[in-house]
Amino acid sequence: MAQAALTDLLQEESIRLDCTATDRLDAVRQCGQALVAVGAADETYVDAMLQREQSVSTFVGEGVAIPHGTLAGKESVKRDALVVLRFPDGVDWDGNDVRVCVGIAAAGGGHVAILSQLAEILLDPAKAERLRSATDAQQVYDLLTPDED
Amino acid sequence: MPERTVTVASSVGLHARPASLFSQAAAKAGVPVTLTTKAGKSVNAASILGILSLGIGHGEEVTLSADGDGADAALDSLVQLLSTDLDKE
Repeated sequence: MAQAALTDLLQEESIRLDCTATDRLDAVRQCGQALVAVGAADETYVDAMLQREQSVSTFVGEGVAIPHGTLAGKESVKRDALVVLRFPDGVDWDGNDVRVCVGIAAAGGGHVAILSQLAEILLDPAKAERLRSATDAQQVYDLLTPDED
Repeated sequence: MPERTVTVASSVGLHARPASLFSQAAAKAGVPVTLTTKAGKSVNAASILGILSLGIGHGEEVTLSADGDGADAALDSLVQLLSTDLDKE
């Protein structure tokens, strides 16, 4: 199965490095609205993302959370896309400190391949640290670009 | 070492929510649990990033193994979890 590169799913305006949020649901809402803003989903997907977050936290470790919608929200996805929101001051995520949210819109089985690629990157502590401390969009792009091996 | 092979029942595979529930359960198992794919890749079952990195789809077979006191009971309950469609709640 051919995998879409993560960077194909990410537009430059989808990388926001200087966000602040009052709490984790606010952060999830901002991810949702960023996906709506790039035309990847309609407004109802934001609610689906909030629902998912309240059902089970999308915190995955390494200061990263991956907000995304429930199965029921898939119909509001127009195309697979990612947004990267960085919260330099951190967001309290049920006791975990989150610095980066990767918001995901995916219809059908797209999730599994996207999450697998993302997890591979975050499993490398040096790359995870670079993502948490990224100060320009190009650094985020480079991190999400698959290695040439 | 006790091990069990199980088919992943979640309709979308072992991704965010099912993966999260599963790795939380594995972390609470009391013994270190290893998850191995058919292709032979192994990860710590309590690591959500490890589980996600495998990109396990619906209907794929995985093997769980653990050693130590209570390993059999821990594996049984984790197998039960993977045999359930965790996205259908």
